[in-house]
Amino acid sequence: MNGIFLVIFLLCAAYFIFFDPAGFLPALLAGGTKAATVCLSLVAVYCVWMGLLQVMEACGLNRPLSRGLRPVVRRLFATDDENAVQCLSMNLSANMLGLSGAATPFGIRAAERLSAGKNARYNQSMLFVLSATSVQILPTTVLGLLLSYGAENAYSILLPSLLATTVSTVLGVLGVIVFIRKEKPCATLP
Amino acid sequence: MRYLALIVPLLFVGVFIVATVRKVKVYDAFTQGVKGAIPLIVGIFPYLAAIFMLTELFERSGLSALLCNFLAPAFEFFGVPREIIRLLIVKPFSGSGSTAVFTEIVETYGADSYIARCAAVCYGSSETVFYIGAVYFSAVKEKRLAAATAIALISSLIAAAMGCLFCRIM
Repeated sequence: MNGIFLVIFLLCAAYFIFFDPAGFLPALLAGGTKAATVCLSLVAVYCVWMGLLQVMEACGLNRPLSRGLRPVVRRLFATDDENAVQCLSMNLSANMLGLSGAATPFGIRAAERLSAGKNARYNQSMLFVLSATSVQILPTTVLGLLLSYGAENAYSILLPSLLATTVSTVLGVLGVIVFIRKEKPCATLP
Repeated sequence: MRYLALIVPLLFVGVFIVATVRKVKVYDAFTQGVKGAIPLIVGIFPYLAAIFMLTELFERSGLSALLCNFLAPAFEFFGVPREIIRLLIVKPFSGSGSTAVFTEIVETYGADSYIARCAAVCYGSSETVFYIGAVYFSAVKEKRLAAATAIALISSLIAAAMGCLFCRIM
């Protein structure tokens, strides 16, 4: 990320120096403003979902909810951390339902737990790829937008969308399994 | 669509009822949970600010348009219409940006056009990759995601090409 940031930043800055020196600072400030606005709306989202999450945890509701996805999670991730498995299950189910705001707190927590355990690189990559390739079953935002613009056959995108996100997720998972190997268990030494 | 909107209110009501039955103090637990939102945001903010400043520079300098033109032939080779390429390039960086591009496409070409449907599929089948990287792993010191980023981007692009293909035959 450090490399990517530096290269893109310097390329853009070079453009501004040569063609539009006065536009440089406003662009940066606009970015900062956007970050502040987004954070504000994120605070609202987190307040709602983390409040609910705490209530669910207090009454033990998150365990049965995550049980359904547990076999999948166990197969995909190389971890024994029960807490991480729970967060991952909640993250995946929220993402599938299209509640990416609700998924984020679980994702952050899962990332923390996974990074502290064994196979950190493999697990981090798996979480990242799963979240980044979108596992959403119903693309509600897009569907809503299409409908609001008067699309007559908006629902015809459902099947292609589902196929496309399945392709991206499967490819991503395979990519992680093939290119980022799990650490060999060192406990096999006599 | 209408039933989908029911999920969230039913979830809240269901959870609160179960909590009450199990003698959990709902108000106390809820506020306790909300407390965690602020540290989370504080942790994310610096990364978001840096990413958004970079995105803004990237767009305003015309570098993103340049990259679009440069990559257009490659995308067209795989059957992705030229009009959608901007969407594909903006998407990994910014959710709101890609929504804007998407609405622009729908407005220009009509909601039932092949282009708009392709755009819808591409939009729905990918996520804001860099944003997720920054937010999910904001609390992690040792990030080792370079390979994973490449894998995610490449599989999203392949999926976009396949999505356009599916749109044509379905």
